[in-house]
Parts: sequence; structure tokens; C-alpha cells
Amino acid sequence: MKRNFKAHWVAPTLREFKRRKVIEEDRSGGPKIFHRSTFLEWNYDAEIFAFSNRLGEKFDDSSLRAALTHKSYIEREKARLSDIGLDSNLHFQDNEALSQKGGEMMSKFINGYLRAVFTQVPEELISAMHDFLTSNSTLETVAKHIGLGDLMLCADFPCKTETYVKSFKAIIAALAESSGEERARIFVQDLVVTQLYGQDVNELWNPVDPVGNLAAILKREGKAEPEFRLIRQAGSNSILAVYYVGVYSDKHFISEGAGESLEIAKEMAAREALKKFFHTEDSMRALPFGRQLKNIQSKIEQLENQPNLPFSEWISEKVMSAVH
Amino acid sequence: MSNSHLFLPSGFIRTPLQNGLGRYIPQLQRITLKFCKSHGGSRGVRDFIESDLMEFAKTNPGTVVYLKPRRHRSPCMVAEYLNGEREYLSCHEFSRDEVYKWLSYMCTRSGIPVMRFRKYQHTDYPTIQGVWNPFTHQAPEINVAEFPHEVLSKPNDQGPTATEQLIEIFKKTQMEDPANKPPN
Repeated sequence: MKRNFKAHWVAPTLREFKRRKVIEEDRSGGPKIFHRSTFLEWNYDAEIFAFSNRLGEKFDDSSLRAALTHKSYIEREKARLSDIGLDSNLHFQDNEALSQKGGEMMSKFINGYLRAVFTQVPEELISAMHDFLTSNSTLETVAKHIGLGDLMLCADFPCKTETYVKSFKAIIAALAESSGEERARIFVQDLVVTQLYGQDVNELWNPVDPVGNLAAILKREGKAEPEFRLIRQAGSNSILAVYYVGVYSDKHFISEGAGESLEIAKEMAAREALKKFFHTEDSMRALPFGRQLKNIQSKIEQLENQPNLPFSEWISEKVMSAVH
Repeated sequence: MSNSHLFLPSGFIRTPLQNGLGRYIPQLQRITLKFCKSHGGSRGVRDFIESDLMEFAKTNPGTVVYLKPRRHRSPCMVAEYLNGEREYLSCHEFSRDEVYKWLSYMCTRSGIPVMRFRKYQHTDYPTIQGVWNPFTHQAPEINVAEFPHEVLSKPNDQGPTATEQLIEIFKKTQMEDPANKPPN
């Protein structure tokens, strides 16, 4: 007999169970979920110990617990105790201040890394990459995958995005308090900045008028103005037409771009030229992480407060040569 | 004949949260060992707990180990991973070594469900020099060439014909003829 054998007279009962379960779940909006701490096998102290060891970091116990405690939880506990009638003099510290500080530190560390690695890039693209990395969705994914979901003390369940983000930022500040700013910087580089890997940087920011901006840059550098020439074309009478346009400055080839029409191809060529100047082409060097950053940590620290050139003043002589 | 390959989902190899790129984070969040204190089927699990469990917990400090004795139930282990997945494994009548083997198997997995790997590599940057298109390596002269063209109409990998090779050999012998050397 198969393991899941059930006699035929059981079927109507099971069908009715399923029907009622579906109605109940539709009414409440999904199957019932329980927080991990409601299980019998749960030890919060052990979970916190494992959390810090998993990441390979040493946390001060009080800072870590404060970073994981939310204001909503404290208020709920106070209300619960006062309902029962007990004195509510809880010594819980919430993570508001830590989260604020952690957010600022994280922005600083991310900007330092981006400016040290993308040395040729204008400040607008740096801030676009920074906004992508510090967006709520990215930070929520990171926070969930470290295991913060079960550790946070908060009133809302399932936890909201803002709760995750707040906890994560507070963890960074707690780490800086416990082990120093250097460790917190490496932590942010290893967990947050790695989310940039695999993401096409040029999708995050694109200059509005690439042709005009390219002409402006070449003029600032004292080179001849860009000349666009048709290099290749195929199928010009069909839907699948393709035109390759090349950009030349004083008869020197800069870049080429392809498109369905001449205007599109011209714009793509100008974009490729800008990509070449900023060293963000598809063939650019891979982003350094982990051990590869050992030599440039001091450079990263130095550039945290030093923004790159803005796009309107960009000129290749002013930007540093690549660091890594 | 198994049919697991028919229903086993397939995919490309991946890792949660770019694990290993910055630092390696062990993905096993917690492991729960459920066993019976007296039944014979849990003997291996009990022996494992008495002897090897402490060492396991010390070498994996990032994993919480829970022990749950349950009467009259067969033993099992439930592994929970950082991405929320759970793995259940029955340990009924396992030996102590088998429990250790399967526990270390759980340690090395990320929570991504078992699947058939289509390729054993993955890259986010599949091309450095650019994907080939029919215009790659084409001489720019074709843009303004009038066809038939004496160079571009011919195949470009032809090489010298037999007649041309014979002429080359003859020319070489011509040069080596001492009668043709100018008198010193």
C-alpha cells in the first residue's frame, strides 16, 4: 500500500475541509503564519550569539539588543503591562538614534567606495548608484537574508520594509560602536555594496542630452567637435533596419553605436562615447571586493567626503587615474 | 529508472545575496534535532548528541542547534536557512556516522531548493569584447565598394592556389642559381 493511501469514504470529509480552509484563507488574506519565537524551540540569547558569529563580527550585547528593539515593541509591552496593572518601568532602549547614525555612516561608506572605484565617473552617477544601494528594497533583501526577520522585536508581523531597513541601519551603528568604524566599513562593503554586482551601472543614470554633453566635454578639453558618420547599415527599407554610427573627433575614432534609426544610432554612439570616458562600458574592470580592497581602504576613507566632478564640469584631465 | 529528472526543477547555479563575493556567511540558520529518549530508532541520534554534537556546535557557531526530545516519535532533523527555506530529513534508524554525515550536508547547502543545474558556471558579465554581429571584422571598405570587387568579392581565406605556389617555388630556385649572381 502507498504511504498516502486513504480509503474512498474519507474523500468527502477532506473535500469539505479543503473548501472551508480556502474560504478562511481568502477571508484573512493568506495562510496563517507564526513568528519563529512562538515555537517551543526558541532561545533568543542563542540566536543573537549565532547572528554575530554568522557575520564574523563581535557586537556589544547591549548595543546589539538595542539595535534590534523597535519603539513599537516597547510601546506594546508597556501598554500590555499597564493593562494587567503592573508597573511598567522597562529598561529597553530603542533603535531610533542608532538607526539614524547607521544610515549616515552607511551612506558615507558607500560613497567612499564608489568614488574610489569609479574614479572617472561624474558625481550624478555616483549618487544614482548610492540611491540604488540604499533603496528600501535593496536593504530589505539584505536584512532578510542575514536573518534579522526572526530577531527583531517589533509590533508588526509580518514586519514592514521600514522596520527591516531601520534594524539594518541600527546594526551598522551598533557594529561601529562595538568593533570600530573600520569593521563597520568592511561590513557595509561586503553586504551592501556587493548588491551592485551584476547590475548594469548605466541603467541607473543616463545623461539627458548625450550628443550635446559630448560636444561640451570635447570643447572643454580643447578637442575638435564630434563628427558623426554612418559606418554600417542594413535593411534600411525593412522593420529590422540597423544603422551603426561612429563618433569621430578630428578624424580619431571615439566610439560607435547602433540603432533602428539614424537618430537612435547617433544617440547611442554619443552614449557609448560617454561610457568610454567614464570607464563604465560593458567591458569595464570587475568591481573589487573582499581582499582586493585591502590596499585601497585608506583611499576609500579619504574620498568619503570628497565628491567627484559634476557632469557639467567633467573633463578627463581633472579625474584621477584608476586606483585598483 | 527514476523519474526525478522529469519533475526536478532546473536552473542556473546561484547564491543568495552574492554570498562569498564580500564575505562568506554560512547559510544554515538553525537546526532542530527531534528524537525519542527511549525508542531504538533514535539510538544513532542519541549517540551523536552524546559524542559529536558539542564539536559540531563549536565549529559552526553561526548555527543555533535545538534539541527536542519527543516521546514515541521517530527521529528527524529540520534545517532552517537564511532565505526562509526548511529542509526536513527523517533520521529513523540512522547510525551515529550517518547523522553526522547528513548534518554536515545540511551545513553546506544554501536554502535554494535542490534542482538540476543546467550549467555549472554562472556569470553576470558574459562578454568582454562584445557579442559577434555580422559587421564585426568586416573591412570598412565594403561601405563604398562597387561589387564585383577584385579583392572583396573573393573569399578572404583562400590562400595561394597550386599554380601560384609552383610559381613561388620556381622564383626561389631562380634566385639560388649561381649563374645569376653578379660577378664580384
